[in-house]
Amino acid sequence: MSRPPLPRIGVFVCNCGTNIARTVDCEEIACAAMEWPGVVVARAYKYMCSDPGQEMIAEEVREKRLDRVVVAACSPRMHEPTFRRALASSGLNPYLLEMANIREQCSWVHDDPRAATDKALALARAAVARVVRHEPLEKRFVPMNPATLVLGGGIAGMTAALQLADAGQPVTIVERADRLGGNVARIDLTAPHLDSARELLLGRLARVSMHPMISVLLRAELEQLEGYQGNFTADVAVEGASRRLEIGSVVVCTGYKEFDAARVEGLGYGRLPDVITSFELELMLKRGRIEMADGRTPRTVALVHCVGSRSEEYHGYCSRVCCMTALKYGHEVKSALPGAAVVDLYIDMHAFGKGCEDFYRKTAEIKTLFLMYGKNAPPVIRPAGPKDDCNLLITLDEKLSGEEIEVPADLVVLMVGMEPREDAGRVAQLVNISRDKDGWFIESHPKLDPVATTTDGIYIAGACQSPKDIPDSVAQARAAAARILAKVAKGKIEVDAIFAEVDAARCSGCRICGTMCPYGAIEYDEEQKSSRVVEASCKACGCCAAACPSLAVRARHFTDEQIFAQIEGVL
Amino acid sequence: MAFEPRIVGFLCNWCSYTGADLAGTSRIKYPPNVRVIRTMCSARIRPSFVLKALAEGADGVLICGCHPGDCHYSEGNYKTLRRQVLLKRLVAGYGIEPERVRLEWVSASEGQRFAEVVADMTERIRRLGPSRVEMLPSTRRAG
Repeated sequence: MSRPPLPRIGVFVCNCGTNIARTVDCEEIACAAMEWPGVVVARAYKYMCSDPGQEMIAEEVREKRLDRVVVAACSPRMHEPTFRRALASSGLNPYLLEMANIREQCSWVHDDPRAATDKALALARAAVARVVRHEPLEKRFVPMNPATLVLGGGIAGMTAALQLADAGQPVTIVERADRLGGNVARIDLTAPHLDSARELLLGRLARVSMHPMISVLLRAELEQLEGYQGNFTADVAVEGASRRLEIGSVVVCTGYKEFDAARVEGLGYGRLPDVITSFELELMLKRGRIEMADGRTPRTVALVHCVGSRSEEYHGYCSRVCCMTALKYGHEVKSALPGAAVVDLYIDMHAFGKGCEDFYRKTAEIKTLFLMYGKNAPPVIRPAGPKDDCNLLITLDEKLSGEEIEVPADLVVLMVGMEPREDAGRVAQLVNISRDKDGWFIESHPKLDPVATTTDGIYIAGACQSPKDIPDSVAQARAAAARILAKVAKGKIEVDAIFAEVDAARCSGCRICGTMCPYGAIEYDEEQKSSRVVEASCKACGCCAAACPSLAVRARHFTDEQIFAQIEGVL
Repeated sequence: MAFEPRIVGFLCNWCSYTGADLAGTSRIKYPPNVRVIRTMCSARIRPSFVLKALAEGADGVLICGCHPGDCHYSEGNYKTLRRQVLLKRLVAGYGIEPERVRLEWVSASEGQRFAEVVADMTERIRRLGPSRVEMLPSTRRAG
C-alpha cells in the first residue's frame, strides 16, 4: 500500500441552508480544520450537494491537488454516492472520501449550539483522521451466468420463465407438485372480468412445455444453493435423484397456501358438511354443479369474508383477493341458480383493483344481501333445528344495523385467506433471504425495489412475497425477469470494492473466519494452508475481520487502523 | 462545571445507524454525548475497538445492532451478543465498571428508541462519573 507521505486533505462543511448552520457553527469547523494535520483547504458552503457545491469540491481537488476529501454534511446514507461521484469527476478515486454526519446525528437532534458545534468538530476531526488511512479501491467484475432457476411453476413462475426464455435465456423451473399451474389451476373464473382461469393457464402451459429454452423439473425440490450472484450452483432433487445446475439468478415464486378454516371454531368447518372453503366451491364450479353435501340444491348461499385474515388471533394482514372472489361467487351462484339468495358477510369491502369497484356495484345490483360484521367478532354457524326452513343458522353482530341477527343458509362458503407455505422458512434459508413477521419473503425495498431481495441474484415474485392477485403476480414476475435480463445483457456483475481479504502470509489457517462467515464466502486452501475470501460472495459485514486472532483478515474500507483513527478522532 | 461524559457509539449501518438518522429526520432531541462510528455490521466491532475507546478516555461505549433475527447479515448480531459477555468480563478485569460498555438493539424504524437509549446511557454514565483508565495503556500513535 503506497501512501503519499503527506496527505493533502480538503474539508468541506455544508450549511445545508440553515439545517446545519442554525445549530452548528460551520465556519468555526472550517477554521479549526485548517489546523489539523494534512488539511490544505477547508471551506463552508450553503449547499455542498448542489451542482455549484460539487463543482467547488472538484475544482479544489484539481487546484490544490487534493488526494483526500472530507465532507461534513448529512448522513452518508443520503449523499455519499453524490460526493463519491464528485470525486470521480475530478479524477480522484471515490473511496478517498469520508463523510461526517453533522445533520441527522448532530444539528437536527441537539439544541445547544456550543455542544452541537463541539460534537460536529469531533466528528469532522475523526473523519479527517480516518480519511488519511483510506485507500483507492477498484470495483471488480465477475462473469454473469445467463441461466435462471425459477422455484415454483405457478402463474408467477411460468410468467418469469417465459419472459426470460423469450429473450433467449435458459430457464429451469423446479416444481414440487406433479404438474404446473399452482393455485390458479384450482380456480374456475377470475374476478372482476369473469375470465376463465383455465384459459389464462392453458396458453402458458403449452408454451412452457414446448419452449426450447425452458426445462421443467416436476416433483423436484431445491436441496442446496451455493455461490453468489451470477454464479450459483444449485442441487435439485428430482424424484429421488440429485441434479446439479449452474445458474446466475434465482426467482422464488413459491406462492401461498390457504388458511385452515378449521382453526376458527365458531365457523364449524370440518364439523358441518355444508360449511365449505372457497377452494371447495371452486371445485364445484369447475364441475358445473353447486350442491349441498346431500346432493340438494342450496336455496341460500352465504359467503363469509376474512376467514383467517385481518384478525388479532390469526393473520393481521388483508389477503387482498377474497373480497373480489366473494363478489365473483355472488355472480356465479346467481347465474347457476337464479332462484337462490346470496348473503355476503364482510368486515370492510376492499375493492381497490382496476375494475373492482364497478364489479362491486354490479354485484349489489344482482340483489346480494350485504351484512357487515366486526373485526375479531366472526359470525358463529350452527346447524338449524327441525322447525327451521334451512340447513344452517349464522349469528352475527351486524354493524350497520347495530343488532345481533340470525341469517339462514343452506351452504356457507368461507373466504379463506392466504398464508405462507409451511416450507417457506426452509426456502428462505436455502436461498438466504429474510421473512417478515407474518412469514412472507422480504423484498429489498417495499416501494422502490419490490422484486429484489437482500441477497444479490435472488428475486421474489408472486404471493410468496405477500398476498397478491394474478395481475400483481404477473407484473412482479415480469419485473424480476427484466431485472435479470438487464444483468445478463451486461454480461458481467459489478462487485462492490468493499469486501474482506486475507493476508495469506499472516494467516495461521485456523479457519475461524470461515466458520464465522454467514455466506460461506471464505475458502480454505489446503496447499497454502490459508484461508481465502471469494470476493463476489463477500457481503462486507466484516465479522471475519473482527474474529481473526492473527489480524490477517482486512475488511476493506473498514480496516482496524481506519476505525482506530476514527476512535482517536472522536475523543 | 458538571461532568459531561464522552461516549463512543458503534452502530451497524443497516439498522442502528439508520435508526439514528431517523431520530434526526424526526427531530427527536437527545444529549450530544455520544459520537458515532459506523460499521457495516455490529459483528465488525472487534473487542479491541472498545478497549481502544476506553483507553483513549471514553467514559462509555455504546454498541448498537439490529434486533435478534433482523440482522442484515442474518446472524452477525448474535456474534456481537456473545462477544459482549466476554467483553464485559474483560473490562471488569481492567478495573472498569462493566456498565460502561452497553449493547442495545435499535432497528431502522426506532429513532425514538435510539434517542432514549442515548439519553439513558448518558445519564447512567454521568452518575458513574469519569472513567479511570490508568490500567489500559494508550495506543495512540505518535504524531
